[in-house]
Amino acid sequence: MSVQTTTGTAAETRHDDSGRRPARRRGGAVRRAPWLLLAPFLLLFLFTFILPIITAIGSSFVKVSRSGLFGEDGVTSRFAWFDNYAKALADGNFVASIWRMFLFGIVQVPIMIVAATVLALLLESASAKWPGLFRAAFFLPYGIPGVIATILWSFLYVPGLSPIIDAAKWMGLDVDFLGSGTVLWSIANIVTWSYTGYNMLIIIAQLKSIPGELYEAARVDGASPWRIARSIQIPLIAPALVLTTVFSIIGTLQLFAEPQVLQSVAPAIDSQYTPNLSAYTTAFSYNDYNVAAAQAVLIAVVAFVLSFGFLRLTNRKSS
Amino acid sequence: MAPFSRRQVLGAGLGSAALGVLSGCTTPGTTSVNAAPTIPPAHGETVKLTYWSWLKDLQKVADIWNAQHPGVHVEAVWIPSGNSGGYPKMYSALAAGGGPDIAQIEMRTIPEFMLVNGLVDLSRYGAEKHADKFDRTLWNQVSFVDGVYGIPQDSGPMATFYQPKLFAKAGGTPPTTWGEWAELARELRRRHIYIDCFPLSDASVFCSLAEQAGARWFKPTNDGWAVNMTDPATMRVAKFFDKAIDDDLVTTKFEPYSPGWFAAASKGNLASITSASWGDALIEGVSGGSGKWKVAPMPTWDDDGYGSSQLGGSTAAVLANSQHPKEALEFAVWMCSSREGIDALITHCGIGWSPTPDYIGAPRQKPSKFFSGQKYNEKVFVPAAKQQNPDWSWWPITQQSFSILSDEFRHKASGKKLVDCVAAAEKHIMAAFKDKGLSIRKERA
Repeated sequence: MSVQTTTGTAAETRHDDSGRRPARRRGGAVRRAPWLLLAPFLLLFLFTFILPIITAIGSSFVKVSRSGLFGEDGVTSRFAWFDNYAKALADGNFVASIWRMFLFGIVQVPIMIVAATVLALLLESASAKWPGLFRAAFFLPYGIPGVIATILWSFLYVPGLSPIIDAAKWMGLDVDFLGSGTVLWSIANIVTWSYTGYNMLIIIAQLKSIPGELYEAARVDGASPWRIARSIQIPLIAPALVLTTVFSIIGTLQLFAEPQVLQSVAPAIDSQYTPNLSAYTTAFSYNDYNVAAAQAVLIAVVAFVLSFGFLRLTNRKSS
Repeated sequence: MAPFSRRQVLGAGLGSAALGVLSGCTTPGTTSVNAAPTIPPAHGETVKLTYWSWLKDLQKVADIWNAQHPGVHVEAVWIPSGNSGGYPKMYSALAAGGGPDIAQIEMRTIPEFMLVNGLVDLSRYGAEKHADKFDRTLWNQVSFVDGVYGIPQDSGPMATFYQPKLFAKAGGTPPTTWGEWAELARELRRRHIYIDCFPLSDASVFCSLAEQAGARWFKPTNDGWAVNMTDPATMRVAKFFDKAIDDDLVTTKFEPYSPGWFAAASKGNLASITSASWGDALIEGVSGGSGKWKVAPMPTWDDDGYGSSQLGGSTAAVLANSQHPKEALEFAVWMCSSREGIDALITHCGIGWSPTPDYIGAPRQKPSKFFSGQKYNEKVFVPAAKQQNPDWSWWPITQQSFSILSDEFRHKASGKKLVDCVAAAEKHIMAAFKDKGLSIRKERA
């Protein structure tokens, strides 16, 4: 047992060789060790993850009401069952924001995953020049925080500042990146730009784990690079594709920084444009933490259902 | 140490979780500090006051006070501005039973803080005797029922900032009425210039314009709030801007002081902006704008309403958990109404319009190079500050109300009329009041 050298002192080790009783004590230490080592993580996990979730669920069932002009005649809070959930779901803007993200996800996630896969395959192909340089270049946008990325892009979207709009006007085109119909896709563009390289890296990692013999065998059989990609690489990176897609589905529902920052230049983005923005507004502008908690729980449930639905779908396909 | 069993760990986890749920359920702010006896002023010991504010270099102002008042030491702490993080911070500090002695709170947010029992009623500490040092309109906005809940710190009387050369191109001078404004706007449009923008996503500007026309949206009465957002004054403004937007006299593509606005203003595609006094500092950011701008009184409704209006403005309010409300009040009054306090606030913090009618601050008495050498503060804003709607009062869910109204206004882009947007918003706002348990009724006009 290698644990002996790591957990026992020299004296203990000597005892251990001689009898059964110390062996049981050593067993205790062995049992304790993982908990001790895990303790810092578990504490953090408990206080910053589990506890907030439970608090949020708890507060989503409470309703606070005030009476008088400014609540001076008393404030009462009571257990409200699903009132807050009903209120969140009755809020047309909140439900609309979920549908909006649904539309966003259906378009943006496939585009991004396909782009990431194509980039990964190109960089991992035998004829790629300077793959390291390009890998870093494609990954670079992920290193820029979403807030900064949005500020940068907003200068390309704002009429009067944007060289793209000026160039389009030159050619007689009138483009409006921030209109009510287009701004969602302007956000999709920022998100795609930021995360394609990140997803590409995950796919490359899996591509690298494909054993060389498979390629050799395929080449001996006379397979073209296209055939290799289709019949070997894509099936073998399927787990990475599933993983990146699930991450992207969850990320879509949590979209927050991009629309919030873009709000200052795009009047079409309202205070409840995405589900997370809606929960934020409810909590911090409306001071209604209970309904915000209900919204947060609903967002989590939808993200859970969608990502597990997707996993079920892909599992069934592969089995 | 005994090993933890999985069950023990789980048990401990659930136990502390249950504790979290319980503490999440207790509602902070259920008791009012204003029902408790007043706290007498401290004797002998040095009193320490903290002041949370988003003004830069506020400590330099506090240091002047500290040098003169060895018994009361004020420490300024910078926080993010109200809606971008300052208020949530204050709310959570209040909920936890702490917080600073003084906090910067916007005029319109005072009632929201009253809703969580977050403010000290300063009339119990003798605030009334300072009332005559402050602008009457502003004092009315911090006074509710029988109390005073903040000391006005700055305000934003409104006027029109304009580019004389662009106005001259259309053969015009600053319009004195909204009717003239619309005519000039039409002439400017022939030369591809907008007279101004109309922000659909920030309803507070519309609110200020309605205020000028004589609206009073909310009134606290004995049996709850009375609301009237569809009174003739508001409807007049809504109809006017419905037409202005439909006729393409104003642009709704960008908000005031956004990057798009600055681009249009510096390229000469935007001739003017009707905004608050604090707009001067922002307009000075228009590149190549020096000497090209001037200030004129805002247009009026010739037969009705007021000469000017107000946009923005904040207070120094004493928060509920302060142990030294009396000293905090004295400092706030000194800072906001004494000559040295006002001058220091302007020099170090670049604060908005002075809340006292008698003194606008030494730096504001000089002519401005950027604004064509005009002494616009004395010529335009001093009278404007006296011509505001004195009856206006704020209500407990202003932030939510402005969000609701802005969200409605966004429908204007798809053809809805502002007139209908205001009416629809009023219904939503009334529902939000009732949702909080507050009583509200529609005022019969």
